[in-house]
Amino acid sequence: MLTTLAAAVLASLAPLQGVTDTTIAVPAGASLSVNNFGGAIVVHGWTQNRVKVHAEHGSRGRIEASLVGSTLSVKAGSRMGAPSVVDFDITVPQDMALTLGGTYTEIEVDGVRGAISAETVEGEINVRGGSGIITLHSIQGSVTLADATGRIEVNSVNEDVALSNVSGQIKAETTNGEVTLWGIKSASVEATTINGDVLYEGTITDGGTYTFNSHNGDVAVSVPEGANVTLSVATANGDIDASFPLPFRGTPERHRYTFKLGSGSARLEAESFQGDIELRRPAELQERVQRKDKHKNKNHEEN
Amino acid sequence: MNDQWTDRLSDYLDSELPAGERTALEAHLATCGECRGTLEELRKVVVRARSLEDRPPTADLWSGIYARLTPGRRPAGSPLGRPGVSRDATARSWRVSFNVSQLMAAGIALVLLSAGGMWVALRQPQPAGDAYTPRPGNAANAAVWHRTDVAIADLQEALARNESRLDTATVRVVRENLALIDRAIAQARTALNADPANAYLNLHLADTMRRKLELLRRINAIAAQS
Repeated sequence: MLTTLAAAVLASLAPLQGVTDTTIAVPAGASLSVNNFGGAIVVHGWTQNRVKVHAEHGSRGRIEASLVGSTLSVKAGSRMGAPSVVDFDITVPQDMALTLGGTYTEIEVDGVRGAISAETVEGEINVRGGSGIITLHSIQGSVTLADATGRIEVNSVNEDVALSNVSGQIKAETTNGEVTLWGIKSASVEATTINGDVLYEGTITDGGTYTFNSHNGDVAVSVPEGANVTLSVATANGDIDASFPLPFRGTPERHRYTFKLGSGSARLEAESFQGDIELRRPAELQERVQRKDKHKNKNHEEN
Repeated sequence: MNDQWTDRLSDYLDSELPAGERTALEAHLATCGECRGTLEELRKVVVRARSLEDRPPTADLWSGIYARLTPGRRPAGSPLGRPGVSRDATARSWRVSFNVSQLMAAGIALVLLSAGGMWVALRQPQPAGDAYTPRPGNAANAAVWHRTDVAIADLQEALARNESRLDTATVRVVRENLALIDRAIAQARTALNADPANAYLNLHLADTMRRKLELLRRINAIAAQS
Protein backbone atom coordinates (compact mmCIF):
# COMPACT_ATOMS: atom_id res chain seq x y z
CA MET A 1 0.00 0.00 0.00
CA LEU A 2 1.07 3.48 -0.75
CA THR A 3 0.74 4.59 2.82
CA THR A 4 3.04 1.87 4.10
CA LEU A 5 5.49 2.36 1.29
CA ALA A 6 5.48 6.04 1.79
CA ALA A 7 8.12 7.78 3.71
CA ALA A 8 6.30 11.04 3.99
CA VAL A 9 8.52 14.03 3.93
CA LEU A 10 7.07 17.44 4.31
CA ALA A 11 9.16 20.41 3.59
CA SER A 12 7.58 23.70 4.44
CA LEU A 13 10.03 25.98 2.90
CA ALA A 14 10.49 29.42 4.30
CA PRO A 15 10.60 32.16 1.72
CA LEU A 16 13.68 34.29 1.41
CA GLN A 17 12.85 37.64 -0.13
CA GLY A 18 10.24 36.01 -2.32
CA VAL A 19 12.55 33.30 -3.63
CA THR A 20 12.58 29.66 -2.61
CA ASP A 21 15.27 27.16 -3.62
CA THR A 22 15.39 23.55 -2.59
CA THR A 23 16.62 20.22 -3.93
CA ILE A 24 14.94 16.95 -3.01
CA ALA A 25 16.28 13.45 -3.67
CA VAL A 26 13.66 11.19 -5.24
CA PRO A 27 13.57 7.42 -5.78
CA ALA A 28 13.86 6.01 -9.29
CA GLY A 29 10.47 6.00 -11.02
CA ALA A 30 9.12 8.83 -8.90
CA SER A 31 6.56 11.22 -10.33
CA LEU A 32 6.09 14.95 -9.84
CA SER A 33 2.86 16.79 -9.23
CA VAL A 34 2.82 20.60 -9.33
CA ASN A 35 -0.18 22.75 -8.61
CA ASN A 36 0.15 26.47 -9.16
CA PHE A 37 -2.89 28.77 -9.20
CA GLY A 38 -1.18 31.56 -11.12
CA GLY A 39 2.21 32.26 -12.68
CA ALA A 40 4.37 29.77 -14.49
CA ILE A 41 5.56 26.20 -14.28
CA VAL A 42 8.76 25.60 -16.22
CA VAL A 43 10.23 22.10 -16.09
CA HIS A 44 13.57 20.88 -17.47
CA GLY A 45 15.06 17.41 -17.47
CA TRP A 46 18.47 16.38 -16.15
CA THR A 47 20.26 13.11 -15.44
CA GLN A 48 20.27 13.28 -11.65
CA ASN A 49 17.80 11.55 -9.29
CA ARG A 50 16.95 14.82 -7.60
CA VAL A 51 14.37 17.49 -8.12
CA LYS A 52 15.56 21.06 -7.92
CA VAL A 53 12.85 23.62 -7.24
CA HIS A 54 13.39 27.32 -7.78
CA ALA A 55 10.32 29.46 -7.08
CA GLU A 56 9.81 33.19 -7.20
CA HIS A 57 6.81 34.49 -5.30
CA GLY A 58 5.48 37.29 -3.18
CA SER A 59 6.86 37.76 0.31
CA ARG A 60 3.73 36.23 1.83
CA GLY A 61 3.81 33.24 -0.46
CA ARG A 62 5.23 29.90 0.49
CA ILE A 63 6.11 26.70 -1.31
CA GLU A 64 5.27 23.25 0.01
CA ALA A 65 6.99 20.13 -1.24
CA SER A 66 6.08 16.68 0.08
CA LEU A 67 7.27 13.28 -1.02
CA VAL A 68 4.56 10.69 -0.41
CA GLY A 69 5.30 7.23 -1.72
CA SER A 70 6.83 7.84 -5.10
CA THR A 71 5.05 11.12 -5.79
CA LEU A 72 6.66 14.46 -5.08
CA SER A 73 3.98 17.14 -4.72
CA VAL A 74 4.92 20.78 -5.05
CA LYS A 75 2.38 23.49 -4.51
CA ALA A 76 2.13 27.15 -3.82
CA GLY A 77 0.43 28.52 -0.73
CA SER A 78 0.01 31.83 1.00
CA ARG A 79 0.06 32.89 4.60
CA MET A 80 -2.94 35.11 3.94
CA GLY A 81 -5.00 32.27 2.54
CA ALA A 82 -5.46 33.87 -0.86
CA PRO A 83 -3.82 32.04 -3.77
CA SER A 84 -0.46 33.47 -4.71
CA VAL A 85 1.25 33.94 -8.04
CA VAL A 86 4.42 31.87 -8.30
CA ASP A 87 6.94 31.31 -11.07
CA PHE A 88 8.36 27.81 -10.74
CA ASP A 89 11.52 26.65 -12.46
CA ILE A 90 11.92 22.97 -11.71
CA THR A 91 14.59 20.53 -12.85
CA VAL A 92 13.66 16.85 -12.74
CA PRO A 93 15.07 13.42 -13.63
CA GLN A 94 14.47 12.99 -17.37
CA ASP A 95 12.18 10.00 -17.02
CA MET A 96 10.01 11.48 -14.28
CA ALA A 97 6.27 11.47 -14.95
CA LEU A 98 4.78 14.95 -14.61
CA THR A 99 1.34 16.17 -13.55
CA LEU A 100 1.20 19.95 -13.87
CA GLY A 101 -1.88 22.02 -13.20
CA GLY A 102 -2.98 25.58 -12.70
CA THR A 103 -5.58 28.20 -13.45
CA TYR A 104 -3.76 31.34 -14.63
CA THR A 105 -0.63 29.42 -15.39
CA GLU A 106 1.80 29.17 -18.30
CA ILE A 107 3.32 25.69 -18.58
CA GLU A 108 6.58 24.87 -20.33
CA VAL A 109 8.38 21.53 -20.38
CA ASP A 110 11.65 20.70 -22.09
CA GLY A 111 14.00 17.74 -22.17
CA VAL A 112 11.93 15.11 -20.40
CA ARG A 113 11.13 11.56 -21.48
CA GLY A 114 8.28 10.49 -19.22
CA ALA A 115 4.50 10.79 -19.22
CA ILE A 116 3.11 14.32 -19.00
CA SER A 117 -0.24 15.66 -17.91
CA ALA A 118 -0.64 19.44 -18.06
CA GLU A 119 -3.81 21.44 -17.61
CA THR A 120 -4.44 25.16 -17.32
CA VAL A 121 -7.37 27.48 -17.86
CA GLU A 122 -5.66 30.68 -18.96
CA GLY A 123 -2.17 30.13 -20.27
CA GLU A 124 -0.10 28.53 -22.98
CA ILE A 125 1.28 25.02 -22.78
CA ASN A 126 4.53 24.34 -24.64
CA VAL A 127 6.10 20.92 -24.33
CA ARG A 128 9.17 19.44 -25.99
CA GLY A 129 9.79 15.77 -25.26
CA GLY A 130 7.80 13.17 -23.37
CA SER A 131 6.62 9.64 -23.93
CA GLY A 132 3.79 7.38 -22.80
CA ILE A 133 0.51 9.06 -21.97
CA ILE A 134 0.69 12.77 -22.77
CA THR A 135 -2.36 14.96 -22.16
CA LEU A 136 -2.20 18.73 -22.57
CA HIS A 137 -5.31 20.87 -22.05
CA SER A 138 -5.77 24.63 -22.03
CA ILE A 139 -8.95 26.65 -22.34
CA GLN A 140 -7.59 30.04 -23.35
CA GLY A 141 -4.02 29.31 -24.35
CA SER A 142 -2.37 27.73 -27.34
CA VAL A 143 -0.88 24.27 -26.96
CA THR A 144 2.25 22.97 -28.68
CA LEU A 145 3.95 19.60 -28.45
CA ALA A 146 7.19 18.60 -30.18
CA ASP A 147 9.49 15.58 -30.24
CA ALA A 148 7.19 13.31 -28.27
CA THR A 149 5.89 9.78 -28.62
CA GLY A 150 3.02 7.88 -27.06
CA ARG A 151 -0.70 8.14 -26.58
CA ILE A 152 -1.26 11.83 -27.06
CA GLU A 153 -4.28 14.00 -26.38
CA VAL A 154 -3.87 17.73 -26.89
CA ASN A 155 -6.58 20.33 -26.83
CA SER A 156 -7.38 23.97 -26.47
CA VAL A 157 -10.67 25.82 -26.69
CA ASN A 158 -9.85 29.33 -27.87
CA GLU A 159 -6.39 29.02 -29.41
CA ASP A 160 -4.28 26.99 -31.85
CA VAL A 161 -2.93 23.52 -31.32
CA ALA A 162 0.33 22.45 -32.99
CA LEU A 163 2.22 19.16 -32.93
CA SER A 164 5.56 18.55 -34.64
CA ASN A 165 7.78 15.49 -34.86
CA VAL A 166 5.36 13.45 -32.82
CA SER A 167 4.61 9.74 -33.06
CA GLY A 168 1.98 7.46 -31.54
CA GLN A 169 -1.77 7.64 -31.16
CA ILE A 170 -2.78 11.28 -31.58
CA LYS A 171 -5.89 13.27 -30.80
CA ALA A 172 -5.71 17.05 -31.27
CA GLU A 173 -8.68 19.34 -30.89
CA THR A 174 -9.64 22.98 -30.52
CA THR A 175 -12.84 24.97 -30.97
CA ASN A 176 -11.64 28.38 -32.13
CA GLY A 177 -8.21 27.90 -33.64
CA GLU A 178 -6.07 25.99 -36.09
CA VAL A 179 -4.78 22.47 -35.72
CA THR A 180 -1.37 21.94 -37.32
CA LEU A 181 0.30 18.55 -37.30
CA TRP A 182 3.57 18.02 -39.11
CA GLY A 183 6.35 15.47 -39.08
CA ILE A 184 3.85 13.00 -37.67
CA LYS A 185 4.45 9.24 -37.57
CA SER A 186 1.24 7.58 -36.58
CA ALA A 187 -1.34 4.95 -37.44
CA SER A 188 -4.07 6.77 -35.53
CA VAL A 189 -4.70 10.50 -35.82
CA GLU A 190 -7.78 12.56 -35.06
CA ALA A 191 -7.65 16.34 -35.52
CA THR A 192 -10.71 18.57 -35.30
CA THR A 193 -11.72 22.19 -34.91
CA ILE A 194 -14.87 24.22 -35.35
CA ASN A 195 -13.40 27.54 -36.49
CA GLY A 196 -9.99 27.14 -38.08
CA ASP A 197 -7.90 25.19 -40.55
CA VAL A 198 -6.59 21.69 -40.08
CA LEU A 199 -3.24 20.73 -41.60
CA TYR A 200 -1.72 17.25 -41.49
CA GLU A 201 1.69 16.34 -42.82
CA GLY A 202 2.81 12.88 -41.84
CA THR A 203 2.70 9.18 -42.53
CA ILE A 204 -0.28 7.25 -43.75
CA THR A 205 0.41 3.79 -42.43
CA ASP A 206 -1.26 0.66 -43.77
CA GLY A 207 -4.20 -0.21 -41.52
CA GLY A 208 -4.15 3.21 -39.87
CA THR A 209 -7.11 5.51 -39.22
CA TYR A 210 -6.99 9.26 -39.81
CA THR A 211 -9.79 11.74 -39.17
CA PHE A 212 -9.56 15.46 -39.97
CA ASN A 213 -12.53 17.72 -39.50
CA SER A 214 -13.34 21.43 -39.46
CA HIS A 215 -16.60 23.35 -39.62
CA ASN A 216 -15.43 26.76 -40.85
CA GLY A 217 -11.87 26.14 -42.03
CA ASP A 218 -9.95 24.32 -44.73
CA VAL A 219 -8.59 20.83 -44.26
CA ALA A 220 -5.22 20.14 -45.90
CA VAL A 221 -3.81 16.64 -45.77
CA SER A 222 -0.60 15.23 -47.19
CA VAL A 223 -0.96 11.98 -49.08
CA PRO A 224 2.46 10.46 -49.79
CA GLU A 225 2.98 8.79 -53.15
CA GLY A 226 2.38 5.06 -52.87
CA ALA A 227 0.06 5.39 -49.88
CA ASN A 228 -2.49 2.59 -49.50
CA VAL A 229 -5.51 4.44 -48.26
CA THR A 230 -9.27 4.63 -48.58
CA LEU A 231 -10.04 8.33 -48.61
CA SER A 232 -13.40 9.74 -47.66
CA VAL A 233 -13.66 13.43 -48.45
CA ALA A 234 -16.65 15.59 -47.68
CA THR A 235 -17.65 19.24 -47.73
CA ALA A 236 -21.04 20.91 -47.64
CA ASN A 237 -20.10 24.31 -49.07
CA GLY A 238 -16.45 24.09 -50.09
CA ASP A 239 -14.39 22.56 -52.87
CA ILE A 240 -12.23 19.50 -53.09
CA ASP A 241 -8.83 19.93 -54.68
CA ALA A 242 -5.86 17.60 -55.05
CA SER A 243 -2.32 17.78 -56.39
CA PHE A 244 -2.85 14.41 -58.05
CA PRO A 245 -5.64 12.99 -60.20
CA LEU A 246 -8.85 12.09 -58.38
CA PRO A 247 -11.40 9.54 -59.62
CA PHE A 248 -14.06 12.25 -59.93
CA ARG A 249 -14.29 15.77 -61.29
CA GLY A 250 -15.26 18.83 -59.28
CA THR A 251 -17.04 18.40 -55.98
CA PRO A 252 -19.45 15.46 -55.66
CA GLU A 253 -23.06 16.54 -55.33
CA ARG A 254 -23.72 14.26 -52.40
CA HIS A 255 -21.05 16.09 -50.38
CA ARG A 256 -19.03 12.97 -49.66
CA TYR A 257 -16.98 10.71 -51.87
CA THR A 258 -14.97 7.65 -50.99
CA PHE A 259 -12.18 6.24 -53.13
CA LYS A 260 -9.13 4.05 -52.86
CA LEU A 261 -5.47 4.68 -53.49
CA GLY A 262 -3.31 1.54 -53.72
CA SER A 263 -4.74 -1.27 -51.63
CA GLY A 264 -6.85 1.16 -49.58
CA SER A 265 -5.59 -0.38 -46.36
CA ALA A 266 -5.57 2.79 -44.25
CA ARG A 267 -8.72 4.86 -43.77
CA LEU A 268 -8.66 8.63 -43.96
CA GLU A 269 -11.55 11.06 -43.56
CA ALA A 270 -11.10 14.73 -44.46
CA GLU A 271 -14.20 16.83 -43.92
CA SER A 272 -15.17 20.48 -43.71
CA PHE A 273 -18.64 22.01 -43.67
CA GLN A 274 -17.73 25.50 -44.95
CA GLY A 275 -14.13 25.09 -46.08
CA ASP A 276 -12.15 23.34 -48.78
CA ILE A 277 -10.51 19.95 -48.72
CA GLU A 278 -6.97 19.87 -50.06
CA LEU A 279 -5.10 16.66 -50.75
CA ARG A 280 -1.44 17.52 -51.25
CA ARG A 281 1.93 15.87 -51.57
CA PRO A 282 4.05 16.06 -48.37
CA ALA A 283 6.62 18.53 -49.78
CA GLU A 284 3.89 21.06 -50.55
CA LEU A 285 2.61 21.06 -47.00
CA GLN A 286 6.11 21.07 -45.53
CA GLU A 287 6.78 24.27 -47.44
CA ARG A 288 3.51 25.74 -46.21
CA VAL A 289 4.34 24.93 -42.58
CA GLN A 290 7.80 26.43 -42.93
CA ARG A 291 6.35 29.63 -44.42
CA LYS A 292 3.85 29.79 -41.59
CA ASP A 293 6.59 29.27 -38.99
CA LYS A 294 8.68 32.06 -40.50
CA HIS A 295 5.69 34.38 -40.48
CA LYS A 296 4.89 33.49 -36.88
CA ASN A 297 8.50 34.02 -35.75
CA LYS A 298 8.61 37.37 -37.52
CA ASN A 299 5.44 38.50 -35.79
CA HIS A 300 6.80 37.24 -32.48
CA GLU A 301 10.03 39.26 -32.92
CA GLU A 302 8.11 42.37 -33.90
CA ASN A 303 5.95 42.12 -30.80
CA MET B 1 -10.75 14.48 -5.73
CA ASN B 2 -7.31 13.09 -6.60
CA ASP B 3 -6.90 13.56 -10.36
CA GLN B 4 -3.73 11.55 -10.42
CA TRP B 5 -5.77 8.42 -9.76
CA THR B 6 -9.31 9.28 -10.78
CA ASP B 7 -8.28 9.82 -14.38
CA ARG B 8 -6.99 6.26 -14.47
CA LEU B 9 -10.07 4.55 -13.07
CA SER B 10 -11.59 3.99 -16.50
CA ASP B 11 -8.42 2.30 -17.75
CA TYR B 12 -8.36 0.27 -14.54
CA LEU B 13 -11.88 -0.98 -15.18
CA ASP B 14 -10.88 -1.93 -18.70
CA SER B 15 -7.80 -3.77 -17.38
CA GLU B 16 -5.59 -1.50 -19.42
CA LEU B 17 -3.29 -0.27 -16.70
CA PRO B 18 0.29 -1.55 -16.60
CA ALA B 19 0.91 -3.92 -13.67
CA GLY B 20 2.83 -1.33 -11.65
CA GLU B 21 0.18 1.35 -11.98
CA ARG B 22 -2.56 -1.16 -11.25
CA THR B 23 -0.89 -2.18 -7.99
CA ALA B 24 -0.36 1.44 -7.01
CA LEU B 25 -3.96 2.30 -7.81
CA GLU B 26 -5.29 -0.64 -5.79
CA ALA B 27 -3.18 0.50 -2.88
CA HIS B 28 -4.64 3.97 -3.23
CA LEU B 29 -8.19 2.59 -3.43
CA ALA B 30 -7.67 0.81 -0.13
CA THR B 31 -7.21 4.16 1.57
CA CYS B 32 -9.43 6.51 -0.46
CA GLY B 33 -13.17 6.23 -0.02
CA GLU B 34 -13.83 8.94 -2.61
CA CYS B 35 -12.01 7.05 -5.35
CA ARG B 36 -13.72 3.79 -4.32
CA GLY B 37 -17.06 5.56 -4.63
CA THR B 38 -16.15 6.95 -8.03
CA LEU B 39 -15.01 3.52 -9.21
CA GLU B 40 -18.35 2.08 -8.11
CA GLU B 41 -20.16 4.81 -10.06
CA LEU B 42 -18.08 4.01 -13.12
CA ARG B 43 -18.94 0.32 -12.84
CA LYS B 44 -22.65 1.16 -12.68
CA VAL B 45 -22.44 3.40 -15.73
CA VAL B 46 -20.59 0.75 -17.72
CA VAL B 47 -23.17 -1.89 -16.74
CA ARG B 48 -25.98 0.48 -17.66
CA ALA B 49 -24.25 1.44 -20.89
CA ARG B 50 -23.80 -2.19 -21.88
CA SER B 51 -27.49 -2.79 -21.31
CA LEU B 52 -28.25 -0.06 -23.84
CA GLU B 53 -26.60 -2.12 -26.56
CA ASP B 54 -29.40 -4.65 -26.39
CA ARG B 55 -31.96 -2.15 -27.53
CA PRO B 56 -32.41 -1.76 -31.26
CA PRO B 57 -30.77 1.64 -31.62
CA THR B 58 -31.35 3.49 -34.88
CA ALA B 59 -31.93 0.08 -36.42
CA ASP B 60 -33.34 1.37 -39.68
CA LEU B 61 -30.21 3.45 -40.22
CA TRP B 62 -27.78 0.82 -39.04
CA SER B 63 -29.08 -2.05 -41.15
CA GLY B 64 -28.48 -0.02 -44.29
CA ILE B 65 -25.01 0.93 -43.17
CA TYR B 66 -24.14 -2.62 -42.16
CA ALA B 67 -25.37 -4.13 -45.40
CA ARG B 68 -23.15 -1.72 -47.34
CA LEU B 69 -20.18 -2.39 -45.14
CA THR B 70 -20.25 -6.14 -45.18
CA PRO B 71 -22.04 -7.42 -48.26
CA GLY B 72 -23.09 -11.03 -47.82
CA ARG B 73 -22.84 -10.91 -44.06
CA ARG B 74 -25.69 -10.55 -41.67
CA PRO B 75 -25.06 -8.60 -38.52
CA ALA B 76 -24.93 -10.76 -35.44
CA GLY B 77 -27.38 -10.67 -32.60
CA SER B 78 -30.66 -9.92 -34.32
CA PRO B 79 -32.20 -9.92 -37.74
CA LEU B 80 -31.37 -6.25 -38.07
CA GLY B 81 -28.20 -6.40 -36.10
CA ARG B 82 -26.92 -3.61 -33.95
CA PRO B 83 -23.99 -1.30 -34.02
CA GLY B 84 -22.55 -2.37 -30.70
CA VAL B 85 -19.38 -0.53 -29.94
CA SER B 86 -16.86 -1.85 -32.40
CA ARG B 87 -15.59 -0.75 -35.77
CA ASP B 88 -14.19 -3.10 -38.38
CA ALA B 89 -11.26 -5.38 -37.80
CA THR B 90 -8.71 -3.00 -39.27
CA ALA B 91 -9.74 -0.01 -37.26
CA ARG B 92 -9.03 0.53 -33.62
CA SER B 93 -11.58 -1.06 -31.36
CA TRP B 94 -14.22 1.01 -29.62
CA ARG B 95 -15.10 0.29 -26.07
CA VAL B 96 -17.48 1.57 -23.50
CA SER B 97 -15.34 3.92 -21.54
CA PHE B 98 -15.84 7.11 -19.58
CA ASN B 99 -13.45 9.33 -17.77
CA VAL B 100 -14.33 10.48 -14.34
CA SER B 101 -15.37 13.97 -15.23
CA GLN B 102 -18.06 12.48 -17.47
CA LEU B 103 -19.45 11.05 -14.29
CA MET B 104 -20.44 14.47 -13.04
CA ALA B 105 -23.88 13.19 -13.78
CA ALA B 106 -24.40 9.61 -14.78
CA GLY B 107 -27.51 10.55 -16.68
CA ILE B 108 -25.57 12.97 -18.83
CA ALA B 109 -22.94 10.34 -19.48
CA LEU B 110 -25.63 7.98 -20.74
CA VAL B 111 -26.98 10.61 -23.07
CA LEU B 112 -23.45 11.16 -24.27
CA LEU B 113 -23.30 7.47 -24.99
CA SER B 114 -26.47 7.64 -27.02
CA ALA B 115 -25.10 10.51 -29.05
CA GLY B 116 -21.81 8.65 -29.28
CA GLY B 117 -23.63 5.57 -30.52
CA MET B 118 -24.94 7.49 -33.47
CA TRP B 119 -21.51 9.01 -33.99
CA VAL B 120 -19.89 5.56 -34.04
CA ALA B 121 -22.55 4.14 -36.33
CA LEU B 122 -22.24 6.98 -38.79
CA ARG B 123 -18.45 6.81 -38.64
CA GLN B 124 -18.43 3.31 -40.12
CA PRO B 125 -16.15 3.15 -43.14
CA GLN B 126 -17.81 3.01 -46.51
CA PRO B 127 -17.12 1.08 -49.64
CA ALA B 128 -14.91 2.83 -52.15
CA GLY B 129 -16.28 4.43 -55.26
CA ASP B 130 -19.76 5.05 -54.00
CA ALA B 131 -21.42 8.29 -52.98
CA TYR B 132 -23.03 6.99 -49.83
CA THR B 133 -26.73 7.55 -49.15
CA PRO B 134 -28.16 5.99 -45.99
CA ARG B 135 -31.85 5.62 -45.42
CA PRO B 136 -33.03 8.36 -43.14
CA GLY B 137 -33.67 7.10 -39.62
CA ASN B 138 -35.80 10.11 -38.84
CA ALA B 139 -37.62 8.88 -35.72
CA ALA B 140 -34.53 7.41 -34.11
CA ASN B 141 -32.39 10.38 -35.09
CA ALA B 142 -34.95 12.80 -33.70
CA ALA B 143 -34.90 10.90 -30.40
CA VAL B 144 -31.11 11.10 -30.21
CA TRP B 145 -31.08 14.80 -31.11
CA HIS B 146 -33.75 15.40 -28.48
CA ARG B 147 -31.87 13.55 -25.75
CA THR B 148 -28.68 15.39 -26.65
CA ASP B 149 -30.53 18.73 -26.59
CA VAL B 150 -31.84 17.88 -23.13
CA ALA B 151 -28.34 16.98 -21.93
CA ILE B 152 -26.97 20.23 -23.34
CA ALA B 153 -29.75 22.20 -21.64
CA ASP B 154 -28.97 20.49 -18.32
CA LEU B 155 -25.28 21.29 -18.60
CA GLN B 156 -26.00 24.88 -19.62
CA GLU B 157 -28.21 25.25 -16.60
CA ALA B 158 -25.43 23.85 -14.42
CA LEU B 159 -22.98 26.28 -15.99
CA ALA B 160 -25.31 29.22 -15.34
CA ARG B 161 -25.35 28.20 -11.67
CA ASN B 162 -21.60 27.66 -11.46
CA GLU B 163 -20.12 30.33 -13.68
CA SER B 164 -19.74 32.80 -10.82
CA ARG B 165 -16.90 30.55 -9.67
CA LEU B 166 -15.03 31.24 -12.86
CA ASP B 167 -13.07 34.29 -13.91
CA THR B 168 -15.16 36.68 -16.02
CA ALA B 169 -12.66 36.44 -18.90
CA THR B 170 -13.00 32.66 -18.89
CA VAL B 171 -16.79 32.91 -18.85
CA ARG B 172 -16.66 35.31 -21.79
CA VAL B 173 -14.38 33.03 -23.80
CA VAL B 174 -16.53 30.01 -23.03
CA ARG B 175 -19.69 31.84 -24.06
CA GLU B 176 -18.07 32.97 -27.31
CA ASN B 177 -17.00 29.44 -28.09
CA LEU B 178 -20.40 28.01 -27.21
CA ALA B 179 -21.95 30.58 -29.55
CA LEU B 180 -19.51 29.49 -32.25
CA ILE B 181 -20.57 25.88 -31.82
CA ASP B 182 -24.24 26.92 -31.75
CA ARG B 183 -23.83 28.63 -35.11
CA ALA B 184 -22.17 25.49 -36.49
CA ILE B 185 -25.03 23.36 -35.13
CA ALA B 186 -27.62 25.69 -36.65
CA GLN B 187 -25.89 25.61 -40.04
CA ALA B 188 -25.62 21.82 -39.95
CA ARG B 189 -29.29 21.52 -38.98
CA THR B 190 -30.39 23.80 -41.80
CA ALA B 191 -28.37 21.76 -44.29
CA LEU B 192 -29.72 18.54 -42.85
CA ASN B 193 -33.31 19.72 -43.13
CA ALA B 194 -32.73 20.21 -46.83
CA ASP B 195 -31.02 16.83 -47.20
CA PRO B 196 -32.01 14.55 -44.29
CA ALA B 197 -30.48 11.41 -45.77
CA ASN B 198 -27.02 12.89 -46.07
CA ALA B 199 -24.61 10.79 -44.02
CA TYR B 200 -21.94 13.47 -43.81
CA LEU B 201 -24.39 16.05 -42.49
CA ASN B 202 -25.86 13.61 -39.94
CA LEU B 203 -22.38 12.80 -38.73
CA HIS B 204 -21.26 16.40 -38.69
CA LEU B 205 -24.26 17.48 -36.63
CA ALA B 206 -23.76 14.63 -34.17
CA ASP B 207 -20.07 15.43 -33.90
CA THR B 208 -20.66 19.16 -33.39
CA MET B 209 -23.26 18.49 -30.70
CA ARG B 210 -20.84 16.13 -29.02
CA ARG B 211 -18.27 18.94 -29.05
CA LYS B 212 -20.70 21.25 -27.31
CA LEU B 213 -21.51 18.62 -24.68
CA GLU B 214 -17.85 18.01 -24.03
CA LEU B 215 -17.02 21.71 -23.72
CA LEU B 216 -19.89 22.22 -21.29
CA ARG B 217 -18.89 19.16 -19.31
CA ARG B 218 -15.30 20.33 -19.12
CA ILE B 219 -16.17 23.86 -18.06
CA ASN B 220 -18.58 22.60 -15.42
CA ALA B 221 -15.85 20.32 -14.09
CA ILE B 222 -13.43 23.26 -13.89
CA ALA B 223 -16.06 25.39 -12.16
CA ALA B 224 -16.75 22.59 -9.69
CA GLN B 225 -13.06 22.42 -8.80
CA SER B 226 -12.72 26.18 -8.37
